[in-house]
Parts: sequence; C-alpha cells; structure tokens
Amino acid sequence: MQAAVTATVTGSALGVGSELRNFQLRLGMWVFLGTVTMLFAAFSSAFMVRSAGTDWHAMPLPRILWWNTGLIMLSSVVLDYGRRCANQSRWGSAAAAVGGAGLLGLLFLLGQLDAWRQLAQAGISVPTGPFAASFYMMTGLHALHLMAALALLGWGAWRLWRGALDDEVAVRGVASLCATFWHFLGGLWLYLFAMMLLL
Amino acid sequence: MSDHPQSFWSKYIFSFDHKVIGIQYIVTGFVMAGIGALLSILIRLQIAWPGQPIEFLGKLFPEGMPGGYMMPEFYIALVTMHGTIMVFFFISYVLVSGFGNFLIPLQIGARDMAFPLLNMLSYWVGLVSALVMLGAFFVEGGAAASGWTAYPPLSALESAVPGSGMGQTLWLLSMALFIVSFTMGGLNYVATIFSMRAPGMSMMRMPLTVWSYFVAAILGLLAFPALTAGAVMLLFDRHLGTSFFLPAGLVVGGELVQAGGGSPLLWQHLFWFLGHPEVYVLLLPALGIAFDVLPAFTRKPVFGYRLSVYALIATGALGMIVWGHHMFVSGMSPFSGEYFSIATMLITIPMAIIGVNFLASLWGGRVIFKTPMLFALGVVAFFGTGGLGGLFLGNATADIQLHETYFVVGHFHFMIGGVTLMGTFTAIYFWFPKMFGRYMSEGLGRAHFWFTVAPFYTLFLGQHFLGLQGLTRRYYAWDSYQYVADALPTNVLLSVAAFVLVSGQVLFLGNFVWSIFRGRVAERNPWQATTLEWTTASPAPHGNFGEHIPVVHRWPYEYGIDAGGEDFADQSVAPDRAPVTA
Repeated sequence: MQAAVTATVTGSALGVGSELRNFQLRLGMWVFLGTVTMLFAAFSSAFMVRSAGTDWHAMPLPRILWWNTGLIMLSSVVLDYGRRCANQSRWGSAAAAVGGAGLLGLLFLLGQLDAWRQLAQAGISVPTGPFAASFYMMTGLHALHLMAALALLGWGAWRLWRGALDDEVAVRGVASLCATFWHFLGGLWLYLFAMMLLL
Repeated sequence: MSDHPQSFWSKYIFSFDHKVIGIQYIVTGFVMAGIGALLSILIRLQIAWPGQPIEFLGKLFPEGMPGGYMMPEFYIALVTMHGTIMVFFFISYVLVSGFGNFLIPLQIGARDMAFPLLNMLSYWVGLVSALVMLGAFFVEGGAAASGWTAYPPLSALESAVPGSGMGQTLWLLSMALFIVSFTMGGLNYVATIFSMRAPGMSMMRMPLTVWSYFVAAILGLLAFPALTAGAVMLLFDRHLGTSFFLPAGLVVGGELVQAGGGSPLLWQHLFWFLGHPEVYVLLLPALGIAFDVLPAFTRKPVFGYRLSVYALIATGALGMIVWGHHMFVSGMSPFSGEYFSIATMLITIPMAIIGVNFLASLWGGRVIFKTPMLFALGVVAFFGTGGLGGLFLGNATADIQLHETYFVVGHFHFMIGGVTLMGTFTAIYFWFPKMFGRYMSEGLGRAHFWFTVAPFYTLFLGQHFLGLQGLTRRYYAWDSYQYVADALPTNVLLSVAAFVLVSGQVLFLGNFVWSIFRGRVAERNPWQATTLEWTTASPAPHGNFGEHIPVVHRWPYEYGIDAGGEDFADQSVAPDRAPVTA
C-alpha cells in the first residue's frame, strides 16, 4: 500500500515524467490557492458588511502583529533562497533554508498565539464584538492553513536533504511548490493585516 | 502501470483507481437517493392527507409523528433533509463526482486522475460528510429544520426549533466536509483535464461531457468556499456567542435575543453565491452527457460543437454573478434587482444555444430508441420545460409574486431534479457496459423511463399551477386555509404521482443489480460510439488503455461517414482509414 501511495504521489504510477508531474503539482497548488482566495474573499466581504453595523468597534491590534509580519516576510525571503539553492543543486543549503523558513513560520504562529493571549488578557474575546470575532476567526483560519504549509515545508526539507539520492527535477519541483504555498500565505497575511488595520 | 492493485481492500475499498472511486460515489449516491426518496414519501403523505393519522409511522417516529400525526417541525426537518440529501448527496455524488471520476480519464485518454491519492481521500471525506448528515436524524431534537438554505435566524439560534440544536450543527459540519471533498475532486478534474490528455486530444477535441465537467469543476471550486466561510461564521454565532447573522432586537418566543447587529441577508448572499452556481455544477454535466449520447443514437454528429463549448463556458461565467435572483424579496434595492434580472436573462442566451443545438442534433437523424436515448431525450425535454419556468423566476417583477410558492418548487425540481435525474440515468444506461461489461435490460429500462417521466411531469408541472394558484412552500398543512381549499384534490393526485415515481425506481434498482451479475455480456463498443472510452475493453481495465495510450486524430463526433462499411470512426482512427470531418 505504501509503495502504491508513493507511486501515485510521485506520478510514476500514472506514467508521467518529473517535468509533467511538477506542472501538475504546480497547477493543483494554484487551483487550491484559488479556492483559498475565494474563502478569504468571503470572509473579507463579511468583514466589510459587518463594519457598516452600528455595533462595530475597531480595536487596537497588539503590537506583536508587526513583529509577526516581519517574521513571515523574512521566512519568505529565506524560503526563496532555498528554492534558488535547489535550482543550483545545492541540496544541503536548500534543505537548511526550507527548514529555517519553517522555523520562522513556527515563530510566526507562536507570535499569533501571543497576540490572542494579549487580547484575552485585555478582556477581548470572540463574543466581544464583530471586529474581535472576525479577528479571531480570520487569524485562526490563516494559522490553520499555515500549519498545513509547515507540514509541506517539513516534507520538502526532507526531500531536499536527500536531494542527490532522488530525482533532481522532482525535488526542485517540491521546493518550488513549498515556495508558492508559503509566499501566498505570507501575502494573504499582509492583506488580512492591512484590512484589519484600515477598517 | 506498475502498481496494479492486488488485495480486495486496495482494489475495491481504498482504491486509487478513478473507475472504482467513480462507482463508489455512484453507489453511495443511490443509497442517499433512496433515503431522500423515502423522506419525500412522508412529505407527500402529509401534503395530501394533512391531519390524518398514520399509526405505523407514529410508532416509527414517536417524536416527529406522535399518534401518527405529523408535527410541523418534523415536516420542515423532512423537507430540509430531503433537499439537502438530493442536491448534495445524490445528484452531486452520482452525476458530478461519480461519472466525472469514471469518465474524465477514459474520455481524454489518461490512465487515471492526476492525483489518485487525493481522489480516494475525496471519496472518503465525502462518505464521512454523508454519514454526518444522516447522523443528524439520531441526535436530540432531530435533523436540521431550517430548509436546505439554512437561513438564519432559524439556523443560528439553537433554541429556535428542535432541529436547530445538534441537528443543525451536524448539517453545517457535513456541508463543510462536503466542500472539502468537492475541492479535492474538483482540483483533480481541472489538473487532469489540463495535463493528462492523450496525444492529439486538444481542448477542442474533447467530448462535451468532459467540457461540462471542466466548467462545473471550476465553478464549484470558485463558488463553494463562500459557504465554507458562511458555515464557519454560523458555527461561531451558534456556539461562540457572536452575531454575524443575528440582527439586533430579535425576539424569539417572547424573549429578546442577546445579539448584536448582524445581518441575516449576509448569510443569504454567501449561501446563494454557492447555491446558484451549484445549479450549474449539477446541470452542465447532464447537458454534456446528453450531447455525447444523442449522436450515438441518431448516427449523426452533434450540431454546433464549438458554439456549445462557448455556451457552456458562458453559462458558467454568468452563473457566478446572478445569485441575487434568489433574493428578490429580501428588500434589495430595485437597482440591484434590475441588475440580477438582466444578468439572469443573459443566461438564457447560452442556454438557448444549447437547447437549439440539442434540437438541431436530433434534426434529420435516424433515431434509435434505446434506453439511454430515451433518457437523453428526457434531458432535452426537461431542459426545455424547466427552462421556461426560469424565465418567470429570473425576472424580479414576476418572481416577487411567485417567490415562496410551489411554482418555484416545480421549477427547481425540473432543473436540478429533473434534467439531472434524466442525465444520471442516461449516463447509467449508456456507460453501464463500460463499467461492468454487461448490458442493462432494455425492457426494464424502457419501463423505468415511462414510470419516471410520466409521474415526474404530472407532479412537478402540476406544482407550477399550484404555485400560480398561490400555494406557498414549507406549510405543513393547508386544510385550514380557505383560499387554497380547492388545491387539496390536486395535491392528492400529485402525491399519487410521487408514489408512482418513487416506486418506478424499484425497476431501475432491480435492473441495475440483476444486470451487474446476469446482464447480457457487452462488447467493447456496444453503441458504436466514437469517444476514447469505447476503444478499450468492457469493463475498462486498470490503467484504462493497455500498454499504449491512444493517439487522437479527430473530433469526438465522427458519425455519418463512410468508414469501410461503418458509419462512424472513433477518435483514435487514423485519417487514412476514415475521413476526418472536423
């Protein structure tokens, strides 16, 4: 069963080469990101509609969110360095960079958790008002997506670490896939953060 | 295909094979249809004979029907679950997920889906979703009772009606799982169609069935996340004390609900942003299937292939921007109403093109009335009849009068119930030989057709007239309303039609099961059809096409030609063996 799973994931069971498999994975990722975009577009619409309500009170956002924003942007830079290392077949550096980006991502998540803790200590919880509810909901769902991306990064770092032993084209594809997902989530956070600051 | 499945479990249960997954979806969908149909019988019993006790049902449902009398909240729960099950767990599973999985790789000349593991997960998440939905029947308070549209505040307040409790929570969880499952499946459809077509299979050589699945998948992927967002917010409202959808000043049972200034209309927008495209997600594959089946039984090419492709795409695109026509009575501004009316009217253009292309495809053909053809003609007929009702409801002026009446019920049963049901049976009878290597019985198939079409028309065309008469939806009894007193005898007739319709499906069930084991053995290409699935063995083997993927040389409707004693050429026939017409 495990062999069958591996064969279907790599595409060998389908008789497709690494180049085509990379294209399929990239395409699948972009389609998936399209659905995530629509999901957060719906949340954004709700946020904007509710912001017109009489019970809407924007709250000051914890300062740590700025640090978190810096962390996720830095992680994107590190990950992209890893992707470029993979293109140059520098597998050790690539694996370290992807792993490092993952660690920065983990720090981002801990920072988000701390923002929640600060708000809770200030007496702001989910039912406090529509702004607070939206904040917890959107940051929580963003974090869930980020956790999935962290799992992908972990798998990617492992594939890169044993890159020379593997199909190089396929491994480069994995690095590119990790970068696409991660950059998207970084961009999504920038959008959400800006929206919550401005409305 | 090096990993040929071996064990029973990997071959039939946790299979990666798109054909097995397709059949799993189809069987699951039919089980759900059976449950949905039983619910409809209870609904029709109540509508035809309100206030009359049915004792054995009282014993079966002691809380919903104490003493055999149906409680109003039980009635609305039945309606809710009937609609939800039929739309999301029958038609979606059988027509979209079932046949989409089975047909796409076979028709484009691929060995499987692009992501077989994801495909398997899609089915199993879908199955869990269906079980969670059914589980709602067995929790305290019973199943959800806020309609298949789950409008708040009924769906947002746990204490509103018995079904607003755990039953509604399970409904929301189930829908979220359904969307996760659909996303995995839809993603596979798009990636497979883009990247795994056989050599020579350009986009403009794809069968219209594949085109319809392609458009439907994109629609679903873009539209469904809106309901996921809505479901999350509704769960927050229900369990975490927020008020996304609960308005201020709401009084329920004489008590003021402690809520902020939420908007129930926000839910309606999010729901219908999914709900209306969902109609096309279900409808388009039925149309695509009819386009593929008609030429096999008229022995002539489809008319206007390119125009039909563009019409499918245009319908999908316009389908994304017309959701507001379900909300004309919500108090929206007349300008918005005007926009949604005009946009909806615009859809009639590509839809009319498809309808005309159907008729032109039939025109002058040598029609062979086999069972798949009968049902394909059913698709054409239902599409025309149901579409006419849509002209009224898409127009704000008429819709405001007809909204919440049985006119709407009749209309949507024709479109997402009827066209899709006809499409489903067309597909079953047509591709059954490719699935199981046997034919279904023609005699039983024809009987099934007439026992489906005649009562269906009686029931749902009749509902249009009841709607015009002013009969409103969701009322569990009208016997005390004088203005519709003369509708009661009609309702008895319609209920009898409903019972005949449901009973008629026993013919299908018997035929289906019997034919799997005892049906006449089918050859490779029993209908002398032209698309790639008919170039491989029946049933199609694992990996679909043996050692070599077929090379495509022509469009998918090469009928009515002189090809060495035959009047058709499949897509893999080289140009030197038969003339290429398109």
